[in-house]
Amino acid sequence: MAEKKISKKSLTKAWWIWFFWHGCSQQAESMLGMAFAHTMTPVIDDLYGDSKEETSAALKRHLTLFNTEQQVGAICPGIACALEEQRANGGVNDETISAIKVALIGPTSAIGDSLWVATIIPILLTIAMAITRSAGDFGWLGPVLYMVAYPLGTLFLSNYLFRLGYRSGLDSIGKFMESGKLDLITEALTILGLVVVGALTASFVSVPFPVQIKSIEGGNVLVNFDALINSIFPKLLPLALTLVVYRLVGKKKWSPLAVMGLIAILAAVLTALGYIFGVY
Amino acid sequence: MDIFQAILIALFVYLGSIGSIIGNTLGWYNLGRPLVASFVVGLILGNVPLALELGLLLQLAYLGSVTPGGAMAWDLSYASYIGIAGALVFGSTFDTAQSFVWLFAGIGGAIGVAMWNLSYALNIFLNRIAQKGADEGNPKKMFLANVVGGQTIGFVLRFVPALVVLLSISATGGTNLAEYIPAWLTTGLSVFGGMMAALGMGILLSFLVKKKIHFAVFMLGFVLIAYFGSMITMLGVAVIAAIIAFVYYTMNDKKAGAL
Repeated sequence: MAEKKISKKSLTKAWWIWFFWHGCSQQAESMLGMAFAHTMTPVIDDLYGDSKEETSAALKRHLTLFNTEQQVGAICPGIACALEEQRANGGVNDETISAIKVALIGPTSAIGDSLWVATIIPILLTIAMAITRSAGDFGWLGPVLYMVAYPLGTLFLSNYLFRLGYRSGLDSIGKFMESGKLDLITEALTILGLVVVGALTASFVSVPFPVQIKSIEGGNVLVNFDALINSIFPKLLPLALTLVVYRLVGKKKWSPLAVMGLIAILAAVLTALGYIFGVY
Repeated sequence: MDIFQAILIALFVYLGSIGSIIGNTLGWYNLGRPLVASFVVGLILGNVPLALELGLLLQLAYLGSVTPGGAMAWDLSYASYIGIAGALVFGSTFDTAQSFVWLFAGIGGAIGVAMWNLSYALNIFLNRIAQKGADEGNPKKMFLANVVGGQTIGFVLRFVPALVVLLSISATGGTNLAEYIPAWLTTGLSVFGGMMAALGMGILLSFLVKKKIHFAVFMLGFVLIAYFGSMITMLGVAVIAAIIAFVYYTMNDKKAGAL
């Protein structure tokens, strides 16, 4: 019997289905299950197209609950393709495929969320905002740059990871995580991101302290506390507020909505102070 | 804002929402980001500079708003498009527009989360179609369930409510609402807006800071602008940051090679 193989065309087709339609039918029951099974259809056609029973069983195998960060997680359907090819040739059994898929959920979600979604996207956006902020009439360059760089870079990454998953099967996850390069790139990008976030904090966060003391006669401003604070350390209050938010979210695990409420209250108090002391 | 413009913006609300037909790379993480959304709305409504200023405001506040594991705290696509469109309709200067951007972003974001939860529940019925397809050994039903079904629900839940909200904004847009907003509220909202940027920055720090030395790196960027802000632009700081990151990478890469 000839060895069964997935055609190049079907692999490419499977990746495109995943790239565009990975989130089309998210739901509480199987999360990305339908999207995963849909992604596998060209591959299933190649491997089991001649048998209705095998096709039915393969579809059921992939309709089960699955979740990942869908961009970096493109490696998962890649690995699944490799596993199905091995199964069609008598290599692995059904239980192994299901078990591996479940095992992939955790690490691929974690890498995808922490490296791509929480690091790359904010860094790219901060650079885009920096451009918009300083480019004057050409402010539109910021979003335009992001709209080109982000999708294009992610498209290549997703395609690369999908093919890596297919080529190396399960080893690919190890290869991807073990190469020290990934840590080094992450650290370098973190440095880039932190400097820019620091600059953005100084540039955009504003916390007024609208308190002043006026002379009783004439109403001249004797002490303006806002100016006083800024002459000691410029933008001290914005820095303090940002670090407080960091502590509340990062260490005390406050939800963003709760922090927003706190900021609203603080803003109300500061505005009231401003009116009481006649600054506003 | 005429009907055509409202339809166009509502279409982008749908495309930029999580799990739309163009995928999260082109949609949610691209069209759904406030900075990109502000540019799109600015183009449609013909005021890109003001839209971008408002976009910066929202983008800063929501920079740390990511969605790990599909847990939605806020629908950025809804919040951004509705917020900026509403602000542009009711305010012609940054000072008036920025009070409205929070109001409409709040309305949009809240509707968005409700719609997401609804779609997360309604899509469960699609599993029955997919299961039936699997029983029959018919792969075509996967496309039917995943894309046709999922996106019919997705489109109806995103496009229709967004259009209704946008048309209501458009209908009341003739009245000069800014006149009825008391001065203290405008002042308070402007204070709030400036402080909200700390939310995005703080959340972002909680992702990025892993060691103590990271605070020093953060302070470098802060001090550069706080002390030398009149001499250096944000872009200049970004270039400096890129140089430092590159030097760090190269130095450590060689070390790894030597070992």
